[in-house]
Amino acid sequence: MISKRNRLRGTALVAGAAALSVLATACTGGAGASSSQTKDVTITVALFGAPPPQKSLDAFTKSTGITVKWSTIDWDSLQTKIAAASTSNTYFADATDVDWSRVGQESKLGWFLPMEKYIDQKAYAADMPQLSSFTSNGHIVGVPFDASYLVTTVNKAMFAKAGISAMPTTIDEYTQDLQKVKAAGVAQNPLNIPFAAAEGLSTYWYETTQAFGGKILDESGKPQFSSPDSAGYKAAQWMVDAIKNGLVPAGNINVSDSESQQTLMAKGVTASTFADYSGNVGSLYDVPASSSVNGAVQYIPTPGMTGATANVSNPDGIGILKTAKYPEAAAKFIEWFTSAENQADFAGANGPDKVMPGYFLPSRLTGLEKLTAAKGLAGGQELTTMLKSSKPVFPAGAPVWYPQFSNSVYTNLHAAAAGSMTVDAAIKAISDSATKLAGQ
Amino acid sequence: MKQRTPLMRRLGIAFILLWSLVPLYWALNISLQTDAQAGSKPSNYLPPTPSLDNYSSLLSGGSDLAQSVQQSSINIFIECAAATVITLILATLAAYAFARIQFKGRRVLFYAVLATMAFPAYTTLIPLYQILTAFGLVNTYTGIVLVYVSGFLPLATWILHNYMASLPIALEEAGNIDGASRMQVLWHIVLPLARPGLISTAIITFLFAWGQFLFPLVLSSDLSTQPLTVVIASLQGRHLVPYTLLNAAGVVALAVPAGIALVLNRYIVSGMLAGSVK
Repeated sequence: MISKRNRLRGTALVAGAAALSVLATACTGGAGASSSQTKDVTITVALFGAPPPQKSLDAFTKSTGITVKWSTIDWDSLQTKIAAASTSNTYFADATDVDWSRVGQESKLGWFLPMEKYIDQKAYAADMPQLSSFTSNGHIVGVPFDASYLVTTVNKAMFAKAGISAMPTTIDEYTQDLQKVKAAGVAQNPLNIPFAAAEGLSTYWYETTQAFGGKILDESGKPQFSSPDSAGYKAAQWMVDAIKNGLVPAGNINVSDSESQQTLMAKGVTASTFADYSGNVGSLYDVPASSSVNGAVQYIPTPGMTGATANVSNPDGIGILKTAKYPEAAAKFIEWFTSAENQADFAGANGPDKVMPGYFLPSRLTGLEKLTAAKGLAGGQELTTMLKSSKPVFPAGAPVWYPQFSNSVYTNLHAAAAGSMTVDAAIKAISDSATKLAGQ
Repeated sequence: MKQRTPLMRRLGIAFILLWSLVPLYWALNISLQTDAQAGSKPSNYLPPTPSLDNYSSLLSGGSDLAQSVQQSSINIFIECAAATVITLILATLAAYAFARIQFKGRRVLFYAVLATMAFPAYTTLIPLYQILTAFGLVNTYTGIVLVYVSGFLPLATWILHNYMASLPIALEEAGNIDGASRMQVLWHIVLPLARPGLISTAIITFLFAWGQFLFPLVLSSDLSTQPLTVVIASLQGRHLVPYTLLNAAGVVALAVPAGIALVLNRYIVSGMLAGSVK
């Protein structure tokens, strides 16, 4: 008969062996070996929007032998998944989102394969002005698939009611026009600035800083906005003054960018958004179900110090994860997905059957031109011009520490707008934060 | 003074009720409006023309959205139910052992189990992801349920331990004298007495599992295992937020836990208080 002590020992041994085997298996786990196969394979594409029409995907499968399994995950959750999977060195998708603000981080961490291996870099750069936003340390981390840049939108009907017919081309004219709209009683608070402590406030400040003729950081990451004479300082002062003087609704202190566009601009409560999203006229303001200002809101060249200025680009790209099972097949998909023909189709150039829900604007100039020619895109000509001249906030790619920097920007600007600190103190805090982060 | 206490209590209760119920009411209110009504200024405190269109989009028809919601509802039920059953079985055995069996290191082991509750979930996410990947359990019911069980087991063990420790030991001793084995005592004497504790533990585990987001987000890849909480989050666009639809989805996701909490709240309270008074 086996004694109780022996039974316990046996149990402990089995348990120990099981635990060791679990540990050993887990340690050897991770992403499987990748394959260069491009025929008869299924790739997973994870993005934050609905997939392209099934017919389009079927046509891609027919021509390449690559089947696409599409996974829709909201943007924030997708970033969590990318981080979790890449940190764990495990597979979850072949191609996925690369956000402009994370390029530095993702490049340094090596989460994505360099795209220059798969695409004709020169040809892409010539047709995609925003490709530089995805370049870091000489490598292309992703390819912009949907042009997004900040633009100024104006409710021309409201401006007209206030007696303004010529659109402003400088910041001074713009400010005076907004004051006229307010004084005429057309809008109690005509300017929309989303002051909630969120990324939308940071990007608004970047666009305004560019309009004031300056930049945020130099090539070494040194802040360029510390002096009261600098564009960034003036831009912050202009934004905070706007809410203090009643140009911006007081309630905007806790309103985010998309919320303000949907509930203020689209409802005719505010008359202008200085840093709006490209594509919002067609996808929001001209949509009867979500807007009461159909046909009234238009893009204008962003007012600068002495005339129209460049727009800040903040596009989303698509890249191939380091843990991809079929990188070559994923590259073929990206080539197809970002082709001028498909981009124009997804944006509605050739009828509703080919539209990809939620798709804004082609990132290719040729795609945007096709779209403009085909369906008379709302503000198409202006958008094409602006896309050509759009500039990234960080020409050498967003720094590795961008998330912490942006956090400092929106937290301090929010506090300045709320009145709990001065603009001077807010700028100093942001500047100190940038200096500290760049020096690490 | 005697008159002021009830008034303060009433005010306190009213404040807590408003604090808890106003957001729920607002979600219901918005879910019954169109986008245009929901975005109008001033806000509508009651739906001007109540409409079930958002619920219809979510729950009926063969649209991709309705299919996603239907499938993810099935997933969340399967995952929560399985996690609850397995947690309850394991927690019962562990709680009974900790409450009644004398062995070396019992206290240390018990407190070590409880201490795992203090670990932030984020610290275990990556190791669990790697382990599940190694075993091919990512994007499977088994993987998600195992992770839920590992997360909820300490709390369930603690609740049941407190409950079992408060039961009179004389009945179990009588069973032993009559020749019942340890498992027979557990099955025939302890479990019937601990039924309220078991029910409350099951409810609490189920509700905790229902509210999970981060783990199923990372551990599931597609609709075959994604629970409702993950699918609701994916309704949100990059630049546009479908407020009325999201609110309707929130109300749908809330219906089951709210129903359970309303019907079985006495068990939840007794479970949370188990062992606090002896």
